[in-house]
Amino acid sequence: MSDDYLQLKDVSLSYHTKEGEIKALKNINFCVKQNEYISIVGPSGCGKTTILSLISGLLKPSSGEVLFEGKKLDKSIQIGYMFQRDNLFEWRTIYKNVILGLELKGMAKDKQSLERANNLLKKYGLYDFKDCYPSELSGGMRQRAALIRTLVLKPKVLLLDEPFSALDYQTKLNVCDDVHSIITKEKQTVIAVTHDIGEAISMSDRVAILSSRPSIIKTVQEIHLQHIDSPLKRRESPEFSKYFDNIWKEIDNAEKKD
Amino acid sequence: MQRKKIDYSNEHIKYLKLKKTDKITTILAQIFLLITIIALWELLTQLKVLDPFFWSSPSRMFKTLFDMISSGSLFEHIGITMAETILGFIIATALGYFIAVLLWWSEKLRKILDPYIVVLNALPKIALGPIIIIWVGAGMPAIITMCILICVVITTLSMLSAFLSCDKDKIALMRSMGANKFQILFKLILPNALPEFVSVLKINVGMSWVGTIMGEYLVSKAGLGYLIVYGGQVFKLDLVMASTLVLCLLACVMYLFVGILEKKVRKK
Ligand SMILES: Nc1ncnc2c1ncn2[C@@H]1O[C@H](COP(=O)(O)OP(=O)(O)OP(=O)(O)O)[C@@H](O)[C@H]1O
Ligand SMILES: [Mg+2]
Repeated sequence: MSDDYLQLKDVSLSYHTKEGEIKALKNINFCVKQNEYISIVGPSGCGKTTILSLISGLLKPSSGEVLFEGKKLDKSIQIGYMFQRDNLFEWRTIYKNVILGLELKGMAKDKQSLERANNLLKKYGLYDFKDCYPSELSGGMRQRAALIRTLVLKPKVLLLDEPFSALDYQTKLNVCDDVHSIITKEKQTVIAVTHDIGEAISMSDRVAILSSRPSIIKTVQEIHLQHIDSPLKRRESPEFSKYFDNIWKEIDNAEKKD
Repeated sequence: MQRKKIDYSNEHIKYLKLKKTDKITTILAQIFLLITIIALWELLTQLKVLDPFFWSSPSRMFKTLFDMISSGSLFEHIGITMAETILGFIIATALGYFIAVLLWWSEKLRKILDPYIVVLNALPKIALGPIIIIWVGAGMPAIITMCILICVVITTLSMLSAFLSCDKDKIALMRSMGANKFQILFKLILPNALPEFVSVLKINVGMSWVGTIMGEYLVSKAGLGYLIVYGGQVFKLDLVMASTLVLCLLACVMYLFVGILEKKVRKK
């Protein structure tokens, strides 16, 4: 575990619109360790999605820099990005969806990569559905397919933007377990944004709490739970509610500040 | 893929039967209505309640049709009109689609051309008739140009709005996987807009007939539109009615054709 796997250094970002300048982030500093699962929580509109866009390279910071293993992040470093909705392409079969990234990188004929795609489909129970269209799958399966689509490209960092919020509660708990186990098996480094404090605690090694705009990181809460096997189990840990209260208060304070 | 087995409950079978009889009665009623109209028309004109000179009549219409078929002139006129319509349809659709892609590609171009497109869309194209005749000459090229003018603007506008309505998250996803603009266009924007493209095809079938017939009213020496105008001028209502009937049938056939295409696309 290296301490400076991914690092945000004094990152600020402003959006410019006709109405004016919106200062979304102000001097954000934090490090992500390899194989760590970090959640970002904060008041709505505080700039969580913006942080992910910066790390994915979709946005450039107004000042400061994003470093990967000490070097400036560039296109050669694959970052996986998952959104609230699975964004599967309805006109492609599951298999075709999963290899979309390979097609874009001109690796659609690369034997090793295709084998990896097939293996992931097999390992995570979607192989029988590879010739189905997304509309024929349940919400949880679709989300799993979307996850495999990003994993096929072997991302160095996986970004999740409220990936479970479109699911109903029961499904959500199951899909969380599902995704958590896949991420652990594939040894992914994850930065996840969520509104759901329970989800954040049950999935993460650390939870970063943002203030309202212009956002800074208020606190980073390390999570140490008694049970660690799966998010569902972790929710049953005795320390769970203490963490929940802490984080809830922090966010509440942040919201009241304005 | 899991397909549902056909193993219905009695209640469901009853429901299906009901649906089927419902469909049959609808079709019977439609046929009945058609026959009544034709019979009534024939009767009233035979009894001279309606003057067949102004109203023509089914029997006179069919006689005209048979005469034209036996002399072969009908197929000549149909051929010319069909050729104009299909050519206009294909060129307009392709051109409109291509312009829409260009406008999607360049936001700057889109902004610059916006007022021009609005005006072009609002302008009644028939007003350009005389200009077209002078520029491309009277005859088939003028008719096809008219047809293209009528279809192309609406094609461009519909396709452009379909391209632009593509989900922002999907574009971000493509970019996060390293897609360039070409890849975003060909792997996301175009396939995503396929259903809208089929709707545009359907609209254009109707529009291209309008364009062609309008063009033929203006300049032609042959074609169904020409027959209708000519028939009107010399008061041969039989000819006017017969040509209109043929036109209806042709438009129907072309519409069915696109319908089949649509089913194929939707299946995916
Ligand atoms: N493209 C943009 N142009 C202008 N302002 C923007 C843009 N994107 C976001 N913003 C503004 O920046 C702020 C932060 O947005 P961001 O989407 O990062 O917040 P968020 O924490 O993800 O919010 P939510 O909890 O609603 O998902 C918001 O106030 C938003 O209005
Ligand atoms: Mg957000």
